[in-house]
Amino acid sequence: MGFTDQEILETVRMFELETLDIRTITLGISLYDCADPDLERTCEKVYTKVVHHARELVAVARSITADFGIPIVNKRIAVSPISMVAAACGEEDLTPLAQALDAAAGEVGVDFIGGFSAYLYKGFTHADRAVLESIPSALSSTRSVCSSIALASTRAGINMDAVVRFAEIVLETARRTSADGGLGCAKLVCFCNAVEDNPFVAGAHIGVGEPETVLNVGVSGPGVVRSALQRLGPEADLLAVAETVKRTAFKITRMGELVGREAARRLGTSFGIVDVSLAPTPAAGDSVSDILELIGAERTGAPGTTAALALLTDAVKKGGAMASSSVGGLSGAFIPVSEDSGMIAAVRDGALSLAKLEAMTSVCSVGLDMIAVPGDTPASTIAGIIADEMAVGMVNQKTTAVRIIPVPGKGPGETVEWGGLLGTAIVQDPGPFGCRVLFERGGRIPAPLSGQRN
Amino acid sequence: MATRFLTADDVRRAGAGEIVVAEGTLVTPQALEAARELGIEIRGGAGPYREPAPDRGPDATRAARSLPHLPEPSEDPLAGTGVVVTAVGRNRRGILAEITTTLNANGAGVQNVSQRVVEGYFHLILVVELDPGAPFEGLKTALECLGGPDDYAVRVMHERVFRYMHRI
Repeated sequence: MGFTDQEILETVRMFELETLDIRTITLGISLYDCADPDLERTCEKVYTKVVHHARELVAVARSITADFGIPIVNKRIAVSPISMVAAACGEEDLTPLAQALDAAAGEVGVDFIGGFSAYLYKGFTHADRAVLESIPSALSSTRSVCSSIALASTRAGINMDAVVRFAEIVLETARRTSADGGLGCAKLVCFCNAVEDNPFVAGAHIGVGEPETVLNVGVSGPGVVRSALQRLGPEADLLAVAETVKRTAFKITRMGELVGREAARRLGTSFGIVDVSLAPTPAAGDSVSDILELIGAERTGAPGTTAALALLTDAVKKGGAMASSSVGGLSGAFIPVSEDSGMIAAVRDGALSLAKLEAMTSVCSVGLDMIAVPGDTPASTIAGIIADEMAVGMVNQKTTAVRIIPVPGKGPGETVEWGGLLGTAIVQDPGPFGCRVLFERGGRIPAPLSGQRN
Repeated sequence: MATRFLTADDVRRAGAGEIVVAEGTLVTPQALEAARELGIEIRGGAGPYREPAPDRGPDATRAARSLPHLPEPSEDPLAGTGVVVTAVGRNRRGILAEITTTLNANGAGVQNVSQRVVEGYFHLILVVELDPGAPFEGLKTALECLGGPDDYAVRVMHERVFRYMHRI
């Protein structure tokens, strides 16, 4: 099959200059058959099964990079929500399970393992509560374990009792990891309408409808979209912008499809989904914020930003859907503040506020992501921020998430360095007013009428 | 079938002698350790226990039968592999010769060449076919070792990357 010089150079340029890579290949492993009345035996089984299935994962990723020349940045594991695996043992402290997951991840050499999770959107089982209460100790005593909690859904409403407790858990996790700037909270996320095949951390887990093992892929590629829009220039109209993004997203997604299918084939497992989210990194140029500014917002957070983001998210989905029949996961555009150099600059310049970010999350995946707030923010305020975000997701029938980091000992405007993919954050001011009465009421915000679709 | 496990507890309960595990059973590392301490032998059906191949579940077999997303250009497993080689750098004499010599030494033949020199810099695109059985990684490593920081850089990619990206 022949290719033109232009096609060949375009592909090479994407990899060489525009930081195109596969962000993650994530192997999902069901752990339901590890349930046991004894916690120690559960841990033993969990460790054994994870290592048994994932032993080849890193080698397969390396072999694909070697054979195709496509970089794969992260290798990850997602497991069944641990609350369902641990239910049989009836223990209150599930930290040993997190440590077993961490040990297994270390043994096979993956970057993260997600699934220390529970679905709480309507109520608690004993095991759900045990998972929630174990989070601070689990995340502060492990390296690679990520935890996600589903607090709300369009069908069930928002479990405010769970939101309230989750806010306190966030603060406790930050306190226990204060030496690292509250970094434990970077591995902790809550969801409305959690997706069950998400390959991206911190929310990675495999839900109840998923197979025994499954290979999911998350692509990256903001740098490629940014360069394409730069070449298009500021004169082209918005239809041309959407078309350019769509075409570029198609090409990026195809790389995910190729890597996902090949990895699944080499591992002998089923191929799940390609998550076509544009996932930024702190590297120069690999920024979703830069794309929004190229579309036409003077700075990210300025008027017009939400509209530009809506266009971007939709065009990415359309291009992705054409490129793969297995689009899933979160699939949109990520706006993790600390992980995107453009977003950090926008916060520093006073262009991007928490309020604007919340508005932006109504048109993109996923939500308030990697937001730093002062370490002394009251639990009620954090619960209010989470509840607001859950409401955006619940009413709009979309996934929203909150990954918020109360940085111990830091106040508004101060900088915190986490390094690596997590980047740098500027502590944002949640404002002087709180929501203590809402916090103390507890209970549940009922499902919206739009959730009753039968 | 749901995974069967043999845990350290099971071994301690067995006490002594030998344990024969059913086919597909996963023996945990802790169970192996306990068996060593107690002098218990763990056996599979025919001989000593060996970790089974991973059972990826009922969907894995179906996945193997699903059609590839893009048909391969040749169904013949013995056909060669398409490889695209690109090089950029400061122009000097002998670059093409260095690259093609390396290609030949690694079992690859040139199908198509396109080269351009602009203001002392060259762009080279070679579409090559790698002999059946010749390792892609060997070719890639050999080619990417050519050139240098002030000379030229070579990039080697599988043909499938371009086909997936540019063909519907």
